[in-house]
Parts: sequence; C-alpha cells; structure tokens
Amino acid sequence: MSRLSHIFRELGRSLYRFPGTALGALLSLALLFLLFDLFWIAAATTEQLYTRLISQLRMEAFVAEHVIDTEIPPLQDAIAHTEGIIAIEYISREKAREVLHEMLGTDLLIGYDSANPLPRSFIIEFESDALNSEDMASVCEGLSGFPEIAEVTYSQQWLKNAEATRVIIKRFGLALGVFILLTAIISSVNNIRLMTRARTEGFQQMRLLGAGRLFLAFPFLIEGMLISGLSAAAGWLAINYGSHQISLTQIEIVYPVIEEIVIFCAAAAALGAISGYLGIRKLLR
Amino acid sequence: MSTANVLFGWQPMADEIVADIQNVYLGAARNEGIFRNLNLTLKAGHTAIVTGGPGSGKTSLTALLTGVGFADEGLVEVFGESLRPRRIWAINRVRRMIGGVGGIFGLVPSMTVAENIAFPLVITGLSKRRRQAKLLKMLTEFSLLKKAGDYPRTLTRVEHTLVQFARASIGDQPLLIIDEPSAGLDQATTARIFEFLIKASLSGRALLLLCSDAPAHDLPNSDIYHISNGTLE
Repeated sequence: MSRLSHIFRELGRSLYRFPGTALGALLSLALLFLLFDLFWIAAATTEQLYTRLISQLRMEAFVAEHVIDTEIPPLQDAIAHTEGIIAIEYISREKAREVLHEMLGTDLLIGYDSANPLPRSFIIEFESDALNSEDMASVCEGLSGFPEIAEVTYSQQWLKNAEATRVIIKRFGLALGVFILLTAIISSVNNIRLMTRARTEGFQQMRLLGAGRLFLAFPFLIEGMLISGLSAAAGWLAINYGSHQISLTQIEIVYPVIEEIVIFCAAAAALGAISGYLGIRKLLR
Repeated sequence: MSTANVLFGWQPMADEIVADIQNVYLGAARNEGIFRNLNLTLKAGHTAIVTGGPGSGKTSLTALLTGVGFADEGLVEVFGESLRPRRIWAINRVRRMIGGVGGIFGLVPSMTVAENIAFPLVITGLSKRRRQAKLLKMLTEFSLLKKAGDYPRTLTRVEHTLVQFARASIGDQPLLIIDEPSAGLDQATTARIFEFLIKASLSGRALLLLCSDAPAHDLPNSDIYHISNGTLE
C-alpha cells in the first residue's frame, strides 16, 4: 500500500462507510448548482436580449427650420465627428414623408407637395460602447448646442429603465453566487465533518505515528473535489437534457460554451477541495 | 544499511543520546505539578524503566516525548529535535522514529491488522517490495499471519498488543515507548514480549518502559526510575 493507494483507500472507506451522507451531499449540491446554472442561462439570455435591443437604439436630431439645404452636408460632417457616433443618416422632408407613408400605409400629405411640413433630421447610430445613458446624454447635450439643431430625441427613459434592470439582474446574480458559494462550502464541510467524526480515534493514532497533515487531509480534499465537481457536472447534464426537451421560438436561449462549463466544474471541484480541508481542519490540529 | 537509516536518515550510534529531558516542569501553571524539575536521559541501546502509580505522570511523559504535550519549562529533545509547539515537521519526524505500545498508542480501527502494522512504512514511503517483506516478517514473528486481514475490533487483547509491538518494530524505530508492557498478557506472551525487548535493546534501540511495578524480567543496560511527586528518583 503506497502513500497514494493509502489515500485512495481512505477515500473509498469514507464513501463506502457513509454512502448516504455522500449521496445526500451530492444531490443537495447538484440542486444548488442547477439553480445557479439556470440563473446563469437566464442572465446570459437577458444580456443578449438587452444587447440586441440596445443596439437598435437611435438618436434623432431635428434640423432647425432656418437652416438651408446647402448647410446640411457640413453640419452632417460636424455631427459625424462627435465621439461615440458610428453612423449618421440625413432624413430630408421627402424621405420623412416616405417613412411616414411606410409607417401609416397611406400618404397623408397628398395635395401638400409644395408645403411639406415634416422636419428634416439626422438619424444617429452609436458605437456599442457609447450605447449607455451617460454617453448618449452627453452627445445629446452636445448636439443641442448646435444652433442648426432644433431638437434632439431618443428613448432616454427606456434606456435608463433597461440599464436599471440590468444592474438589478447583475446584483442578484452576484448575491446568488455568494449565497451558493457559502451554501456549497457549508454543505461540503458538514458532510466531511460527519464522515470524519466517527474516525477521530484513527486520525489521532495516525498523527501519533507521524502522518503529516496533508497526508491525512488528502483523501478528504479529493472527496470534496469529487462530490462538488460531480454535482456541478450533474447540474449541467440536467440542463443539457432539459434543453433538448424545450424549444422556444420567441427567445433564443443562451447556453454557456463547453469551455465555460468545464471551468465552472473545475472551480466547483476546487471549492469542494477547500471545503474538504475545512471539514477536517479541526482534526488536524 | 539498516532499515532505520533508510527510513529516517538517522541511525543512533551506541550510547548516543536519543531522548533528553532537562529541568522539565509541567502543569505548574495549573497548580497540578505533574512534573517538577524532571530529568531523564535515554541513550541508544539502553532501557529506562519508569515505575509509578496511576496518575503519577507516566502518560504525560509519553506525551512529552511524542510532542502531544509540551513542557511549561525546561528542555525536551528527541533525536536532537527540540519539541516545542508549532514545530510540526520536527514533531512528525520524531514521531516516525518512535514505536509505541499501549497508553496513548492504539490501533487505527478502520485499518486491517496488516495495514496497521505497515502504516509506519507507508508514511515514510518505503518501496512496496521492501514493505511487504517487512510486513511478512512481522506477521510471522508475532504469529499474526492468520489475522492479517482482520480489523482491530475482532482482536483479543493479546492480539491487540502483539499488533502494536509488530507496528512498533516494523521500521526498526530507534525508540520504543511501551506503556505497561505486560498488562493483560498471559505469562507465556509476557515472556515472549520480553524476549523481543531484549533483542530490540541489544540491536541498539532505546527502550522506555512505563509500568506500575518493576517488571519481573531483566533487560540489558537498564535503569529503573520511580516517578513520584513529579520527579524521577
């Protein structure tokens, strides 16, 4: 029996003697990780939805009535050079009439060809980094300073609400992550403690014979790693099974890529190892 | 090269000091006065027989020498290592060189007889071939072959003691601490154990025997001490 085989034999002893405790820990952790996985998917899907919606956000700057058409190109140029703006499109009175026609299905200005009252405007598209209420408000303020611009509009309140919702989801995710981390550690620590309690005498004897702390703790580190890692993998397997049973046409659900899942399971296993050490720490003193 | 040298990197020379206890006070802070100016020097190839009644401090002496307990004052050196709290590596190294029987020493309940006996070799990392050869020798020497796969809970008291002796000898541990060597043993087993102890002493190992009364059997190079009022006389 080498040191390594002793470690694995001790691990086997723990699982063989306390199968209920190990299974209970595995299932409760799997359930916990499943909850986290579901939230992860929900957050990723929401984030994608948010990015998609936000990318459609445009700002419209209306040209003042006194501006003559020859002044439009230099004005468009000046606006295009503003930081954060990626594209700018000029909407003439005629174009505005076409757009209105498309929207309503009928031309309301028939008979008023010489006196089109629709305003001229610029539709401004932003870089993805600038698609936030702060940057857009700053651009809006800058554009309002142009004497040739009569009014600037964009969905300011909607953007603020969307950002606030995003912040709430992020905070909730963080709180849930911390909650799950703590629960997973406490659950694993208790599980390891339960398994070691009955073996206190044996541990003391092994210590008395000169066995090092790490040598004694190793089987429990591996056990914590196994239980936690397997629980995380079981959570993802359940998600994978569920994803094949459900198909949504309205929303595209965003699943993490395999590399992220592997990293998550590895992190869960590392968490289990820490829990294993914490579980046996008292016995090693 | 002897097993002790291979396992521990330390081979006591004849008359070399194995354990040294100088001016040790223990329990004074708690007004228990377990030891008051305790002095004991144990050399390789020598045997110290410490007698004393229950509660006289025999187990505390074992605890001091194995780093389970620490002196309030004074010096405790085993194999040249000063045993003080937090010197985990030194304490573990010392413990690996001690073979213990009885008192605070017991068997690991979750391990079989063979696993218990071989454990000191497992933690020192001896090769499987040499480990198995030594294990077989011990199982044969202490008539435990048939019990190799049994767990401690199924053993008789005599078998329990024999397993501990086998474990304390498998690595030729340079220091043997035996708490009540003949407790619960029949005459024939006691005689066999003392025969083993004589051989161990003659091979250069240091022996510390802790017993209520002086043993009926003689041991070579032995000194008898009586522990009373916290000091050795």
